[in-house]
Amino acid sequence: MKAFLKGVLKRAAGEYAEVRWEEVTRSRVVFQRDQLMALESSREAGGIVRVLADGAWGIAVFTDPEEIPKRLEEAASLARAAAGHVRNRIRLAPVEPVEDSVTVSVEEDFREVPLEEKRKLAQRYNELILGYSKEIVSSSVRYTDSMRRVVLANTEGTYIEQEIPDVTLHLAAVARRNGDIQQAFESLGEAAGYEFVKDREEKALAAAKRAVELLSAKPVKGGRYTVVLDQELAGVFIHEAFGHICEADFLLRNEPMRKLMQLGKRFGVEALNVVEDGYIPGRRGNAPYDDEGVRRRKIYLIRGGILTGLMHSRATAAATGMEPTGNARAVSWEHEPIVRMRNTYIEPGEATFEELLKGIDHGIYAKGAFGGQTEFEQFTFSAAYAYEIVGGEIGGMLRDVVLTGNVFETLRNIELLGKDFELKGGAGGCGKDGQSPLPVTFGAPHVRIRDVIVGGK
Amino acid sequence: MGILEKAAAKAKEAELYEEYREGITVSFKGGELEKVKSEAVLGRALRVIVDGKLGFASTAGEEEDPLVEAAVASARHGDPAPFSFPELKGEGEVKVLDPEVQELSPDDLLAWGEEAAKAITEEFPGIIVDVFLSRGESCVRVANTTGGVREERRSYFGMYVEAQHVKEGDIWLLWVGKTVRRREDLSPEMLVSQVIRYLRWGERVVPSPAGRPPVLFTPRGAVVLYLPLLVGFSGLSVYMGTSPLKGRLGEEAFDRRLTIVDDGTLPFGPRSGSFDDEGVPTGRLPLVEGGVIQHFYYDLRSAALAGAEPTGNGMKGGFFGGGFRTPPSPGPRNILVSPGEGTLEELIAEMKEGIIVEGVLGLGQGNIQSGAFSNNVGTGFVVKGGKVIGRLKNTMIAGNAYEVLKDHLVAIGAEAEWCHGIYRSPALLVEGVSVVSR
Repeated sequence: MKAFLKGVLKRAAGEYAEVRWEEVTRSRVVFQRDQLMALESSREAGGIVRVLADGAWGIAVFTDPEEIPKRLEEAASLARAAAGHVRNRIRLAPVEPVEDSVTVSVEEDFREVPLEEKRKLAQRYNELILGYSKEIVSSSVRYTDSMRRVVLANTEGTYIEQEIPDVTLHLAAVARRNGDIQQAFESLGEAAGYEFVKDREEKALAAAKRAVELLSAKPVKGGRYTVVLDQELAGVFIHEAFGHICEADFLLRNEPMRKLMQLGKRFGVEALNVVEDGYIPGRRGNAPYDDEGVRRRKIYLIRGGILTGLMHSRATAAATGMEPTGNARAVSWEHEPIVRMRNTYIEPGEATFEELLKGIDHGIYAKGAFGGQTEFEQFTFSAAYAYEIVGGEIGGMLRDVVLTGNVFETLRNIELLGKDFELKGGAGGCGKDGQSPLPVTFGAPHVRIRDVIVGGK
Repeated sequence: MGILEKAAAKAKEAELYEEYREGITVSFKGGELEKVKSEAVLGRALRVIVDGKLGFASTAGEEEDPLVEAAVASARHGDPAPFSFPELKGEGEVKVLDPEVQELSPDDLLAWGEEAAKAITEEFPGIIVDVFLSRGESCVRVANTTGGVREERRSYFGMYVEAQHVKEGDIWLLWVGKTVRRREDLSPEMLVSQVIRYLRWGERVVPSPAGRPPVLFTPRGAVVLYLPLLVGFSGLSVYMGTSPLKGRLGEEAFDRRLTIVDDGTLPFGPRSGSFDDEGVPTGRLPLVEGGVIQHFYYDLRSAALAGAEPTGNGMKGGFFGGGFRTPPSPGPRNILVSPGEGTLEELIAEMKEGIIVEGVLGLGQGNIQSGAFSNNVGTGFVVKGGKVIGRLKNTMIAGNAYEVLKDHLVAIGAEAEWCHGIYRSPALLVEGVSVVSR
């Protein structure tokens, strides 16, 4: 492959060209109640070329490797067609060419584990959920693994081969009492081997138990509350509400937004530090290089409450006079790299959990995340479940807790940061510009925020 | 020897699904062209039944022998197949290919993108405009060991326009978009004029009424109410017992004025096709007629489990379709909601005081099965004295779609529009939605 790609790229047109070819080995086991909905162990391969010609990008996606020379020509001609419409020519920040081969060794390689064993494991978790209570009416258990072998070559002499393992487990329970249906789930993911998903019986039972408990939970009453977010929900908040607006591709052609996101501007309390951590081996989606062949870095988005960094690709770095940060990622061979997060977290503070609750007369302790969405400053995310806080103490269980607000105000309204930090990779992933689900991790300590709007009847 | 023959040598029954997608996408950011992309992707999936057990495998590209081996290996550890692959009969052809779409060149798409950005920024110079246009064709082929083959070329043409109003303390993101199969069903000028109308409505931010004011869901905003139904009418959800509609066929579960049909045969419907991803002919399936639940939709598996007939709703990639990597499951085709009376302006005048919901954040993040929704209103407007007086902010709506569509439907509008590439609906004026605002 190496000699072939190098040869092909020598003849490529334009200022810059790259080829990415991926070979993926993947399996999936899905149970829904008593039905085995998917049982699969497959392989696939596909590629993408990008050509920068006359300051514009042309891109071509394909599945036949023999077409690479043809697709490079096609991408170049698309770029030239585009060039007439581009006012500011796209440039790439310089990086040193890299030749590297990254292989990963995991404890128990899931490619060696028979499909039958994966099925048995998922089935056992599924049976635990279904057998937990008569009120459990359905379940969903999903096991996935994949090993992506990514080859990246460009006209600057970079040639990188990387292996990226990913293994996930999603355990969900659906409970029903009369007409009322409630669901709960546990979701795990890591760049690890098969060992990561074994012995997770307690997670399956936790999902089942919570689904049943939610049947008796009170629907939350809408209003404004002081909320304490657990690590997972605070992590989702920082990823969704703040992380996405620190992606420089989004700011590049958006002058008013760029002004709002000026480095040096105060965004939160002194104690607030937000990190985008480039490479944490073993964490979901982590590899030493991004999909432009740039080495991944750790950057502080917020330090001491001040905005200190943004995430960049080579193009956004060149356009803004910054250094590339290794944040250009593609979810698969069907997509070009765009600016994405990887491990995004709020650093821990000093408070104990009791200190976080202290003085909250009537608030909400929100845990876990069904999901989150953001439109610039507006964000919304759903807690998987929650509890009342009454007189500084945890009270009864609440459900249907959806939190919303303005991210800038909410960051300023952070009152306290716990010391109990956790970093989490779920079984889902992040979505942007039609590229989903991208494996990421997010983290935080417990975080206390005042004046959060909670929707509800 | 082809894949199917190789599979047939090892399996009693086999089915090969192939999808070849070829198309072009152009993206504009901040009014300026960002990239032009082409794709030519071949995806395949093979299902086999070996010793009565079902196996599945999928691949992209040319790997033929490994695909057969993987499917057979999966069957070895699979569960008994509750169904057989059907005879593939080519009755009736649904129109899904428009040659005019294939004739659209990258230059055509580039021109529309540029014109859209220009038209919007001429009236609203500070607005940031992103535009995405795509056109292409997918060729879907389903063949199985009954000897039958179904094959169809389907065109698609889509445009999405996003307008961003960015000011410190007031950022607003508005988008409209449409995906169709026929060139004439998408007017770039219409989409742009919708954006401009909303931008005019939204120039001023005004306080939202709270409590339980009337809420007018525009056709696009009505997805808040339809999403739970799209899941609830799935024959699989019903069989699994997670749908609140289970056991309620024939029941008047909705307002009498509500009629909803799932139609896979509609000429050039965005999700129309002569057959589904299992080769079953599509049809016209009433889901709700005069408020009464008529049918659920099924793929082969859920139909066999529930003792129902497959309805041509076996979709790869599940609910929203579109993925060779996953086995089929029941998914809606084109959801058509029958129009009532009144233009959008008339409905606005009728409700006098209330809010308009055009777009929300957090769609599908709550307990959808139960019908519950709780969303931040991304694009919404305030109506006073029967007129739109401005845009609302920091507002959440919450309620239950099943309750709203049964007991709180005030009016169904006359003007139906294609939304989200999946349904065609008029605007809905409702009550019984809680509105919380700051």
